[in-house]
Amino acid sequence: MVDLCSALLLLTCFAIVAQRRLSACVDLFALQSVFLAATAALVAFLTGIHHIYVAAALTVVIKAIVLPRILKKVIERLNVTRELQMNINVPAGLLICCALVILAFFITQPIIPLGFLLTRDSLAIALAIVLIGFFTMIARKKAVTQVVGFLVMENGLFLGATAAAYGMPLIVELGVFFDVLVAGLIVGIYTHRIQDAFDSVDTSKLTVLKE
Amino acid sequence: MAWPLLVLIVVPVLAGLGSLAVRDRRLVEALQCGQAGTLLAASTLVVERVVTDGQASAGLLLQADAMSAWMDLIIGAVGGTGTLYAVGYLGEELDRGHVSMSRYRQFFCLFDLYLAAMLTAVNVENVAIMWIAVEGSTLSAALLIGFDRRKAALEAGWKYVVLSSVGIALALFGTILVYYSSEHVLGVTSEALRWSELYRVADTLDPTAIKVAFVFVLIGYGTKAGVAPMHTWLPDAHAEAPTPVSAMLSANMLAVAVYAILRFKAVADRTVGPSFSGKLMVGLGFLSVAIAGVFLLVQRDYKRLFAYSSIEHIGVVLIGFGIGGAGVFAALWHLLNHALAKSIAFYASGLVLLRHEHKVLERVPGLLRQMPLAGGAVLVAGVALAGMPPFGLFVSEVLIAIGTYAATPAVAYGFLSLLTLAFATLLYQVLRMALGEPLEAGTALGRRNQTFMSAAIWLNLATLGTIGLQVPARCGALLGSIAQIFGSTVETP
Repeated sequence: MVDLCSALLLLTCFAIVAQRRLSACVDLFALQSVFLAATAALVAFLTGIHHIYVAAALTVVIKAIVLPRILKKVIERLNVTRELQMNINVPAGLLICCALVILAFFITQPIIPLGFLLTRDSLAIALAIVLIGFFTMIARKKAVTQVVGFLVMENGLFLGATAAAYGMPLIVELGVFFDVLVAGLIVGIYTHRIQDAFDSVDTSKLTVLKE
Repeated sequence: MAWPLLVLIVVPVLAGLGSLAVRDRRLVEALQCGQAGTLLAASTLVVERVVTDGQASAGLLLQADAMSAWMDLIIGAVGGTGTLYAVGYLGEELDRGHVSMSRYRQFFCLFDLYLAAMLTAVNVENVAIMWIAVEGSTLSAALLIGFDRRKAALEAGWKYVVLSSVGIALALFGTILVYYSSEHVLGVTSEALRWSELYRVADTLDPTAIKVAFVFVLIGYGTKAGVAPMHTWLPDAHAEAPTPVSAMLSANMLAVAVYAILRFKAVADRTVGPSFSGKLMVGLGFLSVAIAGVFLLVQRDYKRLFAYSSIEHIGVVLIGFGIGGAGVFAALWHLLNHALAKSIAFYASGLVLLRHEHKVLERVPGLLRQMPLAGGAVLVAGVALAGMPPFGLFVSEVLIAIGTYAATPAVAYGFLSLLTLAFATLLYQVLRMALGEPLEAGTALGRRNQTFMSAAIWLNLATLGTIGLQVPARCGALLGSIAQIFGSTVETP
């Protein structure tokens, strides 16, 4: 069950890589967060560790509702709907993501037997999601999609923390959530300012500073 | 209960929020000066306490051992003078109408929270809370770098946000892996995240998991430390941030990131032996020194020049920690001296920037004649950063060179030639600034603002000069106990 949920998370990652419409990317991210919360709740139920429920609830509130709203507002204000140019096109991007998943399984293979029986493969999937998020940040040019990439990375980390390690202590979870929320806000502020100064959120136009 | 430790973190938070709340400029200045004094005093008191008792703790979360105390000393000393300098620098910007009063207050709020986040990061016993605090400092720094809202500043800020967030995310993955493996020994408790517990059980942890975790941590926090090849954000951020922030980034934040790597290194060394982490750190350190040495020569912007010099010095520090033994002592000493010298260099560049309102190196020769204090400070800092005696950086670089020679002579030859390269390129550029005839007149600074900034420079110069001649007894004791964390004993020279 937990593996199924984690696999769904991975699937949404691929969908984000394949999606050109910005608002759809944000929706997919929200969907992924819902899956993430479901995974966490499942782990909490199966293990009886209650504070993971709190983390799951926070995931729904912050990552599935608040952050997507902020991002949608930004997209509306910026008036960009589609990303026409990318650094790497969609089919090549999907192939690279497949390679990243294999890489993630390869890296974690020796340490997976350490894990709890229930959630063994989650660690590999978590690493795969982190890597794909990283890749999205490189492959896309628009500031908004780069943010989505970053948030996907965060989701991967959270999956690693809850599923593979049965959750960090509550105070840590709260701190991490707070940081993610603030990071989202700051990035929002930055996209506004970049839009004002450069009349675009295309980060490939940021070329003032060079050697 | 160690009050100085609590004061050290709570005062910047209060001063920051206070600055946002009050409307009067004089009150903000008073608050900030109070903070500067408190940081200087409290950090020395924490050192005092740790030297006598071995550790200091306050509340549930804060706990300082020798390594934390050393970082407190660095952040406290440079953070204190940095606050003083910021009062003068921002005051001048305010007088010239570059920033409004509300932005002035926002700046101090962010600046103080940034200092508080870094101080928290080095004084907590919990691996994950350290991560949260480091992330907090990243976020506050992000807003500070883009504070000017010019195109270049925004670009630098965006680059910093993106790269640092990725780096810090990788570091969190490393942290999770450590937790994942320590849970099997300690069980699902928050004990599994405490440094002291991790050190205790380190030799029973799974070696592969710790290796993978260390690589993630090294790349992750290494990005934040400006280690090559993840250094690309650093020159931009240092050049475009308001100058007091550049000084804090270079002197404090890089040191905090190195501290985080070191904590994990101490665990990894116990699990898989020191040669694994050592080789990685020496390799990355070499790359950093080499890249910085070359790029120092082609810089045309004096703030970027000092930024590249930071990359070089972080490389030297990594090599020092990588070889271990006396290298650990040398690298720690290097961190403190670099923080002092580099902040002087940035403080002086700030004076030049305010006077000439541009950062082009070729257009500011003759600083010694035009602005004796700034010119002198650039020269002294340049000489110290190039690694000449009688400054501490000379001592530490020689010790690291000896250490590498004892390990592998080939490495030592490479290290010395890279150091010579960096020495020559940095000194060449600094002399171009300090000597010659002034070209442009520039705008004079307000007397009152100038006083604050001069005070900061003089304080740092005095400290740098004093500790260059001999290692104070307390620092020696502290360094000795840190070396024990790395399982080596060194007598202080």
